[in-house]
Amino acid sequence: MHMDNYKNPRDNFFKEIENINHPDETLVPTHCSYCAMQCGMNLRVNTKTNKIIGVEPRYDWPVTLGKMCPKGVTAYQQTNHPDRLLKPLIRDDASLKGTKKGFREASWEEAYDLIVKKFKQLQADYGKDSLSVYGGVSMTNEKCYLNGKFARVALQTKYLDYNGRFCMASAASGINRSLGIDRGSTVPWTDIPETDCLFLAGSNTADCHPTMMFRVWAVQERGGYLIVVDPRETPVARRADVHLDLRPGTDLALANGILHILIKNGHTDDDFVKKHTNGFEETKELVKQFTPEYTSQITGVAPEKIIKAAELYGKAPNAILLFARGIEQQVKGVDNVSAYINLALVTGNIGRPKAGVGTITGQGNGQGGREHGQKADALPGYRKITDPEHVKEVAKVWGIEPEEMPGEGVSAFELFGLMEKKVIRSMYLLCSNPVVSAPDSNYVRKVLKQLDFMVVSDFFLSESAEYGDVVLPTTTWSEDEGTTTNVEGRVIKINRAQMPLGESKPDWLIQVELAERLGRGKYFSHLKTSEDVFNELRLASKGGKADYYGVTWEKIKKQDGVFWPCTKEEDPGTPHMFLDKKFYFPDGKAKILALPYVPAAEEPDEEFPLHLTTGRVVYHYLSGNQTRRIQFLKDMCPEPFVEVHPETAKKYDIEHEERVRLFTRRGEVIYKVKLTEAIRKDTLFVPYHWDFEQAANILTNPALDPISKMPEFKACAAQIEKLEMKKVQ
Amino acid sequence: MKKRLYLELENCIGCRSCLAACTQCGGHEERNRNYVYDVNPLVDRQTMPLMCLHCVNPACARSCPAQAIQIHETGAVLSALVEKCIGCQNCTIACPYGIPKFDTEQNLMYKCDLCIDRSKDGIPPMCASVCPTNTLQWLTDEEIEQKQNKFNLDNGKWVTSMPYLEGETNVKVNLPGILQGISKLY
Ligand code: SF4
Ligand code: SF4
Ligand code: SF4
Repeated sequence: MHMDNYKNPRDNFFKEIENINHPDETLVPTHCSYCAMQCGMNLRVNTKTNKIIGVEPRYDWPVTLGKMCPKGVTAYQQTNHPDRLLKPLIRDDASLKGTKKGFREASWEEAYDLIVKKFKQLQADYGKDSLSVYGGVSMTNEKCYLNGKFARVALQTKYLDYNGRFCMASAASGINRSLGIDRGSTVPWTDIPETDCLFLAGSNTADCHPTMMFRVWAVQERGGYLIVVDPRETPVARRADVHLDLRPGTDLALANGILHILIKNGHTDDDFVKKHTNGFEETKELVKQFTPEYTSQITGVAPEKIIKAAELYGKAPNAILLFARGIEQQVKGVDNVSAYINLALVTGNIGRPKAGVGTITGQGNGQGGREHGQKADALPGYRKITDPEHVKEVAKVWGIEPEEMPGEGVSAFELFGLMEKKVIRSMYLLCSNPVVSAPDSNYVRKVLKQLDFMVVSDFFLSESAEYGDVVLPTTTWSEDEGTTTNVEGRVIKINRAQMPLGESKPDWLIQVELAERLGRGKYFSHLKTSEDVFNELRLASKGGKADYYGVTWEKIKKQDGVFWPCTKEEDPGTPHMFLDKKFYFPDGKAKILALPYVPAAEEPDEEFPLHLTTGRVVYHYLSGNQTRRIQFLKDMCPEPFVEVHPETAKKYDIEHEERVRLFTRRGEVIYKVKLTEAIRKDTLFVPYHWDFEQAANILTNPALDPISKMPEFKACAAQIEKLEMKKVQ
Repeated sequence: MKKRLYLELENCIGCRSCLAACTQCGGHEERNRNYVYDVNPLVDRQTMPLMCLHCVNPACARSCPAQAIQIHETGAVLSALVEKCIGCQNCTIACPYGIPKFDTEQNLMYKCDLCIDRSKDGIPPMCASVCPTNTLQWLTDEEIEQKQNKFNLDNGKWVTSMPYLEGETNVKVNLPGILQGISKLY
């Protein structure tokens, strides 16, 4: 391989197109701040004011070719938004927590002093682990990495976790369990249009990852097949060759049912199964029971459709199977992931170009942010904090003794439980908004209010920041540089287009400065730039599964990103995983897993007869803290709604656009009704991007997957009611 | 090489990125100039963009008493010249699709100019640059002909509306139904 000329693969969609460059403007190539598509974009910067003023397509970015969804097009409007926090805020009156009131502007010195004083006091009174850190994966790799080190080395607490628990945790655990390594997708996205059958399980691709769509449609234009699993006929399901419109929470039965047909109708690749997998016989035994009729009873999907999907997938010369939050945000999310990977393993659709599996990562850096030690049980390079060897390796890079490494903590939602019990007395929250994004938000708010001390770092005053005693103004993505790892597992570069607004600072710098004031400067002071942090990350990940050692900022620029693993400087990276058919287990064999079906934690009953599922709209991102402030996005979708099938609506005597009461065992919300035939009659859907009275997570069930600790956002039991009950005539 | 805007309506997902991007074109004063509609509201999620088709003999321009609507040499039908437009809205009424929008405050019409700054040099307009689904594409006549051949149904009808909708247009449109003409790989 001649490294000098190496470029990552491009597909036929790539065209050379020039950009418009207006006088008095420079273009700064970077990527979108939002989802893991990480669409390439050029930020337009006025050379007189040095301010970001707009966006220009980045045609030469091989993954997205200039394409952007409306969030991406308007992302630049965050940077100089009037709501930006420009100075640290302190609130002295704790009784005002949970409101926007009582904050006063302060200097960084005063804010730092207060934080250090409070942290030290709490740790003296209640022990090191009385502090917790709650991170997020919309941050660069540099920040995600440093956040883990900050919690373990500067604060010396074991209580660290991140919002990936509500996003990628099930995918990560399931992929690791089946394949031994969690490189989100085994193939680059440029392979998608060339595959013969694209299977999308639990992905509303059109709304959540729009810029994938031209490649999805291309499969069908070539004569290939599209299979979509979703309780709703989403814009991508609308055009599917087979739409498996299952009951929410029954994916495991569906995957087992498809496996049943694949085996029964002889679509297995026996040679592949024998040479490269374990567990086929037990699994074959288990899925015997999942006949199309039995599967249909559980899932509500017609037996013919299950057979057709299995036949199309089974007969495909090459098939790519991708899944997303729909199957992952369940109490059996990890099992769902492994059950779908089973389909690829028995048919040998993995480990070659145009055939593979992958999770369609949600958050911008959902992939990189879960690899480098921001998780309760993880250390950089996808190492385990419970493995003494791994601890030794990382401790050496950090310059601490292995004994000083705190142990394993608990998952994001479990942190709130420990706060309620006063085991945890303080939280340092960054890049996340759990008041909106965590399940059972009434409970989360109650717990946050009780904390002795809370520090929040954000660039807007989020609903969660309203619970802070100190709020630190951080930079937006466009005012700092660093790397993210996109949906494909490609490490890419975010570039700075504007100097930080007001007194805002990037989170990595805040943590270095805080560490110094906490007396831990010797472990942090050498980190003067974001690239210094990246270079330390490279070392800390070296030898781990997610090995970034060979990735450099320069190489990212030269070859349009670098796919990890990339172990050496002369290694161009790994666009395709498992080409040697070696999976990351001691015997090199992937695991086909026998997974018995279990229902959702809460199934409909007489009192709550409907399924409720939650998800996204194309105009908003996660908790909406960013997108709800952007005028265009607000105009397009100003408020949430509940989707109801017209027949169901008739039963409840409710009409389109009428406001109804939607309630579950956790709480109730009033929503506007949106009638559509494109949803199951027994299912309701609510998008989750809104706050307080409109938060879908007032309703959702906090039951957790036992392995990934992912809450069951995608299925619970609900009831609707007319606001003013008409008298029965 | 001359390129045209080409619409493949079957692909649209209703993301309205084309509208967001329209505001980003230098000459557009941050106002979007086209439309996206739900085709069967309350039934399914089919959507479609409604764009100015840049008619060869544009009714909007013909109807304008002040001759404010000029036709660029590329065929793009430009937005009304501010110094000429008298705000009568004849153009909106004359256009078979009601495309020209009206700014009541300034008493001026504004419409799609195919991002003339860009398209005059062969650079795709903003909408076709960002459209995530390739509903909006920027293609050469050759590429459009290939599409025509590919989506030719064997029933004597094009799936495409070509050559004309109401009259000859510079923008080419492919109505929903492209998948009917495709033979499957296996
Ligand atoms: S939100 Fe995602 S799909 Fe939309 S522009 Fe940003 S990265 Fe691309
Ligand atoms: S950008 Fe493309 S897919 Fe989105 S609404 Fe416009 S035409 Fe449709
Ligand atoms: S589509 Fe309407 S606005 Fe566009 S050129 Fe034709 S008549 Fe004029």
